[in-house]
Amino acid sequence: MKQMNPAHLLLAAAALATIPATRVWADPPAKLKIVFIAYENPDQLVEDVKPVVNHLEDALQMAIKYFVASDYAAVVEAFRNSTADLGFMGPLQYCMAHEQTGAYPILGEVYNGKSTYTSRIFVHSDSAIKTPADLRGKTIAFVDPISSSGYMYPLDIFKDRGLIRTRDDADKFFKRIYFAGGDEQAIRAVVNKFVDAAGIGQYAYSLLKLEERDSVRIISESRPIPSHCVVVRKELDKTTVDKVRDTLYALNEGPNRQMLKYLYNVDGYIKVTHSDYERVEQLAREYGFLKKQKAGD
Amino acid sequence: MMSNKISCSRRLHLCAACLVTCIVVTVSVQAHIIPPENFHPAVESYRRMNFLLNLNPIPWHDVLKDTAVITKHAATIVPAAAKEFHDQVSRLIEPFTKAADGNREMPDTAARRQTARAVFERSTRIMARLLKSRLEAAAAAIREGGYGAECLKTARKLWAAFEYEIQHSDSAAHTRLGIAWLELSTARGSRGIMKAGEIPARVDLFTAFTGEIIGYVDANFGDHYQTPGNRRLAPLPTKSPTFDAAANVFVKLPPGHNINKQVPRPRQILNMAARGVDEGETALIAVGDMAFDSAYIFGEPMRSFQMSCNTCHNKSITNPQFFIPGLSHQKGAVDISNNFFAPHANNGLFDSLDIPDLRGIKFTAPYGRNGRFLSLREFVRNGIMNEFNGPEPDPVLVDGIVAYMNEFDFLPNPALDRDGTLNDNASAAARRGEKLFRKPFITMDRMSCATCHIPSANFIDHKRHDIGTVEGAEPFSRDRALDTPTLLGIKYTAPYFHDGRAPTLQAVVEWFNDNHCLGMKRREIDDLTAYLDTVGDGVDAYEDTSYYLDAEMEEFSFFLSAYEFLKEKDKPELMTITFETIASEIRNHKWELQDYQFLPVMNRLAELMDEAIEANKQGNRALVDQKVETYRTLFAENVDDLK
Repeated sequence: MKQMNPAHLLLAAAALATIPATRVWADPPAKLKIVFIAYENPDQLVEDVKPVVNHLEDALQMAIKYFVASDYAAVVEAFRNSTADLGFMGPLQYCMAHEQTGAYPILGEVYNGKSTYTSRIFVHSDSAIKTPADLRGKTIAFVDPISSSGYMYPLDIFKDRGLIRTRDDADKFFKRIYFAGGDEQAIRAVVNKFVDAAGIGQYAYSLLKLEERDSVRIISESRPIPSHCVVVRKELDKTTVDKVRDTLYALNEGPNRQMLKYLYNVDGYIKVTHSDYERVEQLAREYGFLKKQKAGD
Repeated sequence: MMSNKISCSRRLHLCAACLVTCIVVTVSVQAHIIPPENFHPAVESYRRMNFLLNLNPIPWHDVLKDTAVITKHAATIVPAAAKEFHDQVSRLIEPFTKAADGNREMPDTAARRQTARAVFERSTRIMARLLKSRLEAAAAAIREGGYGAECLKTARKLWAAFEYEIQHSDSAAHTRLGIAWLELSTARGSRGIMKAGEIPARVDLFTAFTGEIIGYVDANFGDHYQTPGNRRLAPLPTKSPTFDAAANVFVKLPPGHNINKQVPRPRQILNMAARGVDEGETALIAVGDMAFDSAYIFGEPMRSFQMSCNTCHNKSITNPQFFIPGLSHQKGAVDISNNFFAPHANNGLFDSLDIPDLRGIKFTAPYGRNGRFLSLREFVRNGIMNEFNGPEPDPVLVDGIVAYMNEFDFLPNPALDRDGTLNDNASAAARRGEKLFRKPFITMDRMSCATCHIPSANFIDHKRHDIGTVEGAEPFSRDRALDTPTLLGIKYTAPYFHDGRAPTLQAVVEWFNDNHCLGMKRREIDDLTAYLDTVGDGVDAYEDTSYYLDAEMEEFSFFLSAYEFLKEKDKPELMTITFETIASEIRNHKWELQDYQFLPVMNRLAELMDEAIEANKQGNRALVDQKVETYRTLFAENVDDLK
């Protein structure tokens, strides 16, 4: 066997340092299996992503099988039972998937020129509420119990101000917590005065009709949240991972850039590793979404 | 692809804009585009069908299509009820679709109203049945240890069939039930991710709130639902104890409509501006420009929809994407003599027409597709009062609109000499086509195309002709003549003919060749098409940017430049219309700001106009002066940033 020179060894070590130590390389699969997540119309999504799938098949010289999941639990399940090699996930869901299956991110999404976004606390513009502290004893709508921008990061706004320490504290701080099931439902609950506030992603605002936008006001904003990411199954072979990452990354420039509109309309991608999501992971442990690490872990 | 199809945080990424008072961000926003509402297909059809059933005439074929969509979705959930619904509404509608196809007499007015009501009631009942069924399925799933996510999501979407009317006629129930929906989505818990973060469902709460919503839906829209007589057909919750019978539930435009203007904007050429005239001293034109952009010169429903002349004739040019189901037979067309815009002027016919281009209108009299108005003034007054339900307009207002429209110029065309002949800038094919254009055809009574489209007269003859595109009232009727349209600018005004039946200029040439037996060969058709394409061309037909908030803001200042003139003429009503128009236009356009740091400036400018309206109503002219002056100062201070 041909020996590697020291430079190659260094490069290989550097490459390995970016991936989990428990990685088990496998042979390239006969087919790359992609799971897309659909929030509204799975049938339409199946049609919409065809151009991307065709492009990936051409670029990777590999057959692609794809399907659509309706929630992140199904995506993680698909990673675990190897029915998916690649998927698209929010930061908290990714961290949960990472802990349970060893899946890891290869690309982060860029929107409006940024690879981060924020959560915000919205109240009705008529409301007397000015600060997060004013929400003690009031009602609030979040998006989902497992949501980065629609629950965990909004909670963190209250924690940062010493108003709560845990999720249980939040139940006592607020009169009632609702999980509205979507950003639009949550912000519209503020517009319609069903709740006193909503803790949701920054872009929820633009889901409102123009005439509704003056009905809400922002009282606080979270720290930056790393954007959604493209995630691969732990066992997927490195050659395929590299090719997929390079192919999607290449969409940032050049004639195939219009493909991005089929990939959740991102502006582009940046290359990421798990370390970009360590802060999310830490918060997820603090809020009980992930197991607390034992000393020495 | 997915911009109107996905939700949750992922969907949020799709929208470019954000925010607001205390947090400043820079955004990339394009134009003033209102996206369509995202309805469940059955709800979309139900709401559109409600709109259609209130029209006169009712487009029964379209109603039938929407009932088919409702049937299709109902069949997967409540198959027996779906079949019954389908059989009933098909039987009810059949006489009308047959009549529309010319296969029988159209039933009388009473039958039309009765059938519309019956179809509406049956559709409402089955939508209520669907909603109940999905909620019951979600509750059953929860009881059995599932999460009922899809059923609950579908039920919430089906609620949109009724929510608008409930919100505006039973606000107490809307709030109570809005909270009930939040309770439901919370009580269902979460299955977490592979058990991590799992939250067990609260079966008791879920059952209770499901019951509350179903109870309301059953009571108001259930199996015994009947709509109150003599009212517009709409799902009003009349059985609710908190229903407000006096509430004004305004009609909404139906799903599928599009009244957004085209982007990029067409380039408008105002003659006085092209000649370098200072716009600050053309007060009457400023009044007209304001009125052309104003919904407040019209009556309802134009005011509520914020629709103006400019909606259809964007910057004086046809808006090719304008579409309202039931009123438009295709994009870029509308029936303006119906019971929706101006009930008093309904002609009882569905006569949707291609929206005309207004470039060069001072040269194109008479007006109206059949040339029934000899003067622009008559045409404008009729449009305000009898097409769009406005009050008798002030003479100064009409003078202003006419003055403004008389400024609309054709696009310059370097291929045309002053006498309308082609010059060396035209292609060889176009010049061969020019000869054909001027060639008399025996089958056209020895007339040529140029006989009516006189090149030296801007390609019109100011006459009306029957060329065979209009279907008359009866075989030998004489109601088929149409005004000769100009050919200038037609490259940008597809489709063609009064009803837009020809999608391209080539289709127009082929239509003449076939219907007037001109005997032209393929190459001649191509040459004549090339000629029309060249004559209809122009320099810079569209603006070269999609960002034009700065231009809009300058235009609003131009509107306000008429203030002193209106004050001098003692026209407080026109002053109010001016202030209302500016305020609403600023509020409509402010989301186009590329830097939301300046939203407060936009808000203040709009408020100043509100305050001017109030002062004007009180007759406090000094205060109006002050508000106008403050507006001008604030705008001048921020003009470079309001873009």
